[in-house]
Amino acid sequence: MDLVDSYVRAVAKALPEEQREDISRELSEDIRSELEDRQRELGRDLTQAEQEALLRQRGNPLLLAARYRQDQRSLTIGRELVGPVLFPFYVKVLSFNLGLTLVVIGAIFLALLAGGQRIGFREIVSTCLLQLFIQLAIVTVIFFLVQTHLTKHPDRWHLKGMSGGMALDLNIERDIASAAKSQRKDWGPKVSRFESISIIVACAVAIAWITGVQKYPFLILGPAASLLKLAPIWYQIYFPILLLTVAEIVRAFINLVRPDWVLFRLIYRILVHAGGLAVAYALLRAGSWVVGADGGANPPAGDNGAVEILNQVLYWGLLFSVILSAGMLVFRIVDLVLRWRRRESRGVRATAN
Amino acid sequence: MYRTVCGIHYMTPGTDNHGLFENLRLELRRGSLVLAVLAALRKEQYGYTLRKTLSEQGMAIDEGTLYPLLRRLESQGLLVSEWREEEKRNKRFYRLSSEGKVILKQLLAEWQSISTSLNGML
Repeated sequence: MDLVDSYVRAVAKALPEEQREDISRELSEDIRSELEDRQRELGRDLTQAEQEALLRQRGNPLLLAARYRQDQRSLTIGRELVGPVLFPFYVKVLSFNLGLTLVVIGAIFLALLAGGQRIGFREIVSTCLLQLFIQLAIVTVIFFLVQTHLTKHPDRWHLKGMSGGMALDLNIERDIASAAKSQRKDWGPKVSRFESISIIVACAVAIAWITGVQKYPFLILGPAASLLKLAPIWYQIYFPILLLTVAEIVRAFINLVRPDWVLFRLIYRILVHAGGLAVAYALLRAGSWVVGADGGANPPAGDNGAVEILNQVLYWGLLFSVILSAGMLVFRIVDLVLRWRRRESRGVRATAN
Repeated sequence: MYRTVCGIHYMTPGTDNHGLFENLRLELRRGSLVLAVLAALRKEQYGYTLRKTLSEQGMAIDEGTLYPLLRRLESQGLLVSEWREEEKRNKRFYRLSSEGKVILKQLLAEWQSISTSLNGML
């Protein structure tokens, strides 16, 4: 794929689906016409750098795509928090998150109802509203940060675009130019400082949350916190999880200072991922993840049913997560090996030349 | 018009008049761009040549503005377009629709009227 295709693809990902193909074709045609025009003027082919400069003039693919959209809605509370460029992605991510949250809450309530618990309508509404508010706040803060970054640095093409129409894929490390250059670099493009800062912020929030869950199980169990409590395994794995999260913060800090330490990040992430997998496996082996509020010694019959159902749901959820995580770990190792081999073969070719 | 605005700019130092002037200039141009595009498309053209034509006539417009504008004008029924092969590549050619021709005529009359009024005032 050449640079023009990369650019057009980046724009296309942020276009409305019904117009995507049409606009992409026309944009591609326009860029190629301009390239040919320049080549005619110069009497030679354009270099990679000249092509890059030409594409740079056209601007950030995300901003360009936004100009084609009719929908110019934004989120403004006093000041603009999420502008028209990111608003469609914000809505999609929010819908997905809220949908998922409602499914999880629904599953908990169903388990409780199946266990013979009586749940009031007010309890259901208050729990849903609280969870929705938390999701809304988190997603809005993340998008506000991305919006601030985009407004400040529109020339940094960090946005990879939408992935399958489901999620905003912020692959910060790769812009159009560096994607092309990465073929020539040793281990891949530099680690984006924005990515490092985002990871530090996300990990700090995660630490605050897992620490809060220790004291306030309501944060994870919701309305079931009065009937259930976390099994001892969660308290046993608290420090390993904390350690892994802090390790990721340390790594992000190092890459913030040294974005060129790409190999360091590749290896470090594999190690942290392996640690995370070990913790997840220990969690899976525990066999029980929630117990009755009285410690599970003599739970009422209704509570017992709810505990069993929830543990079953958690078992399958954890099993799926462990399998997925193991697959990702294998992928990361294979990726590292492939990069190493490519680097070696380039080294051999360079020596031969 | 241009000279007048610049004159004000230099007479009031210390304020961000350059930014203000740029905004007003863009606003002024935005309105006239539609007219320029419609006028240029009396003759059928594809996007890139249209952009060049406008630029050569002193109405430079970036592609991020032109193409969405073309789409809007087409959805309003003022333009028609078709994909056709030229020089071994598929290109999208635009031209004025019959409705576009009528609107252009009306807009040109309005433009002349504004221009006459302004010239009388300046």
